[in-house]
Amino acid sequence: MAEKKRSKRFQVLENRPVHKDGFIGEWIETGLIAMGSPNDPKPSVKVSGGKIVEMDGKRREDFDMIDQFIADYAIDVSITEEAMAKSDEELARMLVDINVPAEEVRKIFGGLTPAKLASVMDKLNIVEIMMAMQKMRVRQTPKNQAHVTSATDNPVMLACDAAEAAYRGFAEIETTVAVFKYGPLNALSLLVGSQVGRPGVLTQDALEESFELEIGMRGLTAYAETVSVYGTEGVFVDGDDTPWSKAFLASCYASRGIKMRFTSGTGSEAQMGAAEGKSMLYLEARCILITKGAGVQGLQNGSISCIGVPGAVPSGLRAVAAENLLTMTMGMEVASGNDQTFSHSDLRRTARTIPQFFPGTDLIFSGYSAVPNCDNMFAGSNWDIEDMDDYLALQRDFKVDGGVRPVLEEDVIAVRNKAARALQAVYEELGFPPITDEEVEAATYANTSKDVPPRNIPEDLKAADRIMKEGITGVDVIKALAKRGFRDVAEAILMMMKQRISGDYLQTSAWIDENGYVWSAVNDPNKYHGPTTGYQMSPERWEEIKNIPWAIRAEDV
Amino acid sequence: MVSLNEEVIRKVIAEVLAEMVPSPEAGKKAENPSSPKAASSMKLAEKGAAEKSSDPRDVVIGISPGFGVGFNETIVGTPHSEVLRQLMAGIEEEGMKPRVVRVLHTCDVAFIGKKAAELSGSGVAVGVLSRGTAVIHHKDLPPLGNLELFPQSPLLDSETFRAIGRNAAKYGKGENPVPVPTKNDPMARPRYQGLAALLHNKEMRFVDPKKDPVEIEVVFER
Repeated sequence: MAEKKRSKRFQVLENRPVHKDGFIGEWIETGLIAMGSPNDPKPSVKVSGGKIVEMDGKRREDFDMIDQFIADYAIDVSITEEAMAKSDEELARMLVDINVPAEEVRKIFGGLTPAKLASVMDKLNIVEIMMAMQKMRVRQTPKNQAHVTSATDNPVMLACDAAEAAYRGFAEIETTVAVFKYGPLNALSLLVGSQVGRPGVLTQDALEESFELEIGMRGLTAYAETVSVYGTEGVFVDGDDTPWSKAFLASCYASRGIKMRFTSGTGSEAQMGAAEGKSMLYLEARCILITKGAGVQGLQNGSISCIGVPGAVPSGLRAVAAENLLTMTMGMEVASGNDQTFSHSDLRRTARTIPQFFPGTDLIFSGYSAVPNCDNMFAGSNWDIEDMDDYLALQRDFKVDGGVRPVLEEDVIAVRNKAARALQAVYEELGFPPITDEEVEAATYANTSKDVPPRNIPEDLKAADRIMKEGITGVDVIKALAKRGFRDVAEAILMMMKQRISGDYLQTSAWIDENGYVWSAVNDPNKYHGPTTGYQMSPERWEEIKNIPWAIRAEDV
Repeated sequence: MVSLNEEVIRKVIAEVLAEMVPSPEAGKKAENPSSPKAASSMKLAEKGAAEKSSDPRDVVIGISPGFGVGFNETIVGTPHSEVLRQLMAGIEEEGMKPRVVRVLHTCDVAFIGKKAAELSGSGVAVGVLSRGTAVIHHKDLPPLGNLELFPQSPLLDSETFRAIGRNAAKYGKGENPVPVPTKNDPMARPRYQGLAALLHNKEMRFVDPKKDPVEIEVVFER
């Protein structure tokens, strides 16, 4: 074959990072289409005898288990026929109209079916979706969540990184494992580290569901979100689950005083080969209504670990923003994704975050990587700690509250050191493999897990086993810390344990401040209805955001 | 860092995209699992229903429905014959006996691993998908639990499969081995997830929810 003469410009273009991303064409029969598949059902509803007898073109006797769950528990039967009679355009305009209060929108949208919800979203452009998010999110003050993980499950690094993440302002931090059996130790590191960094930060250990529940009940974690729901029966059944079993699991957490939310996201059904030819957003609308029907306070969505799928097809990232908006519109907390790598291009990954960052969501990221991505055991987040100064600059450039604050190097070093020493004390008190002073020193100043000495993994895993077998709880950790002079950390963990009894943080979209006070959609409801309303940054917060340490100050020149 | 064979990736993408042209025949063509396009350097012969073994040295390798029949290589082009060769050699090196079983009712690596572990005499199994995703499972763990999980298929090379086989055998002997070092490439998803979704949708065509696992005899041809 003769060598084709190439354009130098095209050769430059194809060597740009964006060309490393895997773009794929729509493939309708397998559901590799973001919005508006020709196979999506036509919206419809019929009510008879106080029950939905037809939904989205299907009669009740033909419902699958998801249809039935949604029709019986998620859709407001009293308003559904009135709401469904409205045109897509009218409903879409209600979302962006500052003169229609959020409560009224929520009431009407409570009567819509999954196909109608997906169809209404298709009438909004990306800016309108963002305008609607600003109005519809349930809690007024935006917050942020971080990932804290280690490629070697190094307990000292995990404690230090948890402390730093908490100190930087993240309201929730989440870990998982490189090696499954490290789970209990990772939870312990996050608990101790987070409360050193900032009392009140909620911690999570994303693993297998029964393990997560058990470790939550022990007081070693404060919330859970890795309870996944899916939009087709096929995927549910593959996971040995039903909407009812997930609802039951949710009530297990609630009854033990542990915050929880579900997880779903566009692309998962297509990724698992069971999308039945339906669009990603239609299937996600079903997930959102399953979550609402189960009575769960919130949802982590925004594609999450399947972001490479909507990220690869046309209008995919618009669908991802639309799914966040739908969750808010249903009155639930949203932890809005941005938590997984999806592009080699810095331009694309910044743009991907704008729809959540500018309007603000309950938790803008459901995992900003507070560790470098090489340590991120969720396979990498869209932003990591090495992007942090860019993120701080964006908060400042646009006067946007992204949920974190500028910090000083010496303060972070101090916080990391204290976390490492606190964990060292707990390990010694519990008779776990010792943490040496050398390890404390290395982790205090480290960037990645490669900067700290390796641990004896089989010995650590025996300690992890002991946590589970001997029934070690948060109370044992409190005792160890108090005995070894870390009284403030012990008191912070005790305060977190008390939250299980009062249960205030089970309210929708709750976070806990450094004094143990709970903020949620109940006492901080979003009141946005146009300019000068809704979240207004306080002068103190604006000062904090303005003062990035590396800006040149007039008085210093 | 795994060196990626661009050529192979492009070939796979081109092949998959070629099949995406919507024609009424498109779905049917890929559905014939006994297609002669089987892996070039091994033969997988079905030997009837897979039984539960009582041999404590038995370590099962559970392969996915399309492994070695609908697909010949992993997402980064490692031949399926090489995957099985390394897994089996790793198990044998530790003095245990590898046995290959094809799971047909699901394409979920966790459930494949769990099913294989339930058939395993030692209670330990490796589950592996056509694209390379792998797990070491134990019969007494919940389906979504595991002894070790290797979720990033583009990062698994021959050496890693060997180490997975070795560790599976060690767990089978009741040892507590140092886990296979986890590889992590945050850019694997952007590059491969769309392709992985395409491949998974193709492999789903080999799933038959009504079929029980079958015993597989592996004959390497070189």
